[in-house]
Amino acid sequence: MNRRAIIAALTLPFTAWAQQPSVPDTTAILKDFETRVSAYVKVHRAAEADVQALRKTASAEEINSREAALAESIRAHRPAKQGDIFTPEIAGEFRRLVAITMKGPDAPGVKKSLKSAEPVQLALKVNDSYPERAPRQSTPPTLLMNLPKLPPELHYRVVGRALVLLDTSAAIVVDFIPDLIK
Amino acid sequence: MRRSLLSPLLSVFLMGECAGLLALLSFSAAGQQESNVVALPLKPKSVRFAAFGDNGTGGQEQYDVAQQMVRQRTKFPFDTVLMLGDNIYGSDTAADFRRKFEDPYKSLLDAGVKFYATLGNHDNPNQRLYKPFNMDGKRYYSYKKENVEFFALDSTYMDPTELAWVDKQLMASTAAWKICYFHHPLYSDGKFHGPDRDLRARLEPILVRGGVSVVLSGHEHFYERLKPQQGIHYFIIGNGGQLRYHDLKPSPDVAKGFDTDRGFAMFEIAGDELYFQALSRSGEIVDSGMIQKAATTTAP
Repeated sequence: MNRRAIIAALTLPFTAWAQQPSVPDTTAILKDFETRVSAYVKVHRAAEADVQALRKTASAEEINSREAALAESIRAHRPAKQGDIFTPEIAGEFRRLVAITMKGPDAPGVKKSLKSAEPVQLALKVNDSYPERAPRQSTPPTLLMNLPKLPPELHYRVVGRALVLLDTSAAIVVDFIPDLIK
Repeated sequence: MRRSLLSPLLSVFLMGECAGLLALLSFSAAGQQESNVVALPLKPKSVRFAAFGDNGTGGQEQYDVAQQMVRQRTKFPFDTVLMLGDNIYGSDTAADFRRKFEDPYKSLLDAGVKFYATLGNHDNPNQRLYKPFNMDGKRYYSYKKENVEFFALDSTYMDPTELAWVDKQLMASTAAWKICYFHHPLYSDGKFHGPDRDLRARLEPILVRGGVSVVLSGHEHFYERLKPQQGIHYFIIGNGGQLRYHDLKPSPDVAKGFDTDRGFAMFEIAGDELYFQALSRSGEIVDSGMIQKAATTTAP
């Protein structure tokens, strides 16, 4: 074996390794998600400071008007589009996490729960209000257990086959991943 | 009651309920009631409450149920109402809150009856801030009355934080009776929805470990009492305003079902006994019985 062939034989494994599709760094991706969520919470709190805070009251009118004012303030603070939080990398990681739930030992129960939860179909748009007439489909607890934890301002909600990040007090769509729940 | 006994559906139920029926007959023979209806005994210092779910339609049927509750309260003065979710269907403007809650239950509210709501899938979570629902601004919460502790849960969004909270609260509770209520039933024989199996997988072990005796739910638009599951008595009372006619399917798990009219249920807890009656909006008693704490049920 000549010198060139020896070098080629020794470097082949490294070359092959370098040509493999890169394995995503899930820790970094989830850290990025956490950072984006924290940034949103800062926006939420800033918006909250600008309007009369939601509080316990016997007036449904007051609850509604303060909810609407908070939503408007958030929109003003955060012109946003789909993918601002669920970037392609983060959405990919969520697809992996959801697939674990939907294909694992708990999958039959989760699928039955989704079916019995009055699935809704909505045209989703970031910063839109969740339609007041639309039911809120229940989100299976096992699915929630397998997703990154959220601060109290936000919930994951299943809407049809999409996973929505919903601001609960302002009732607005913060971001969503379409066609995720299969 | 007699009419219900003739229904084919109930005859299926009774086949599996022979032991309970025999116990009930003995109970009746003791002089509580001449028919097989178990009376609410109105014992001193007992905890009395009513419950319904899926009520907030604003339709005439909801008002009929509310009026029947007012009539029943003259005989059975309850001071608490448990709302099992879907409190306000559709739009939830101030006018909707009036039409779907404040007006139908005005007599009860004026009489000082306190309503304790839980969130259904048709409810905006900000209802937690509406003072007449007594949720203290929380999606899930607990409160005590005498020897009973009630746990109102949010089954539409049962995240790990809530599961941990329920577990901790139940384990810490020293109440003789622990009653949980939430919208989605863990067990159900409804054709339309059926049980929430994933919720059951996560929540039921916590309820069993925590010593819960009774669970009340809605979501299914009928009344159903199930035979005890893992030692817990499950009631579905989702016909407070809505109705899904003939939606119950025969099942060996059903202790009693009623799916032909709206209604509500009344409960009385005295010592280690819990009495219950389920009524239609016309006042017909469609189910009744008594549950002995940590023992067997005597009910039809």
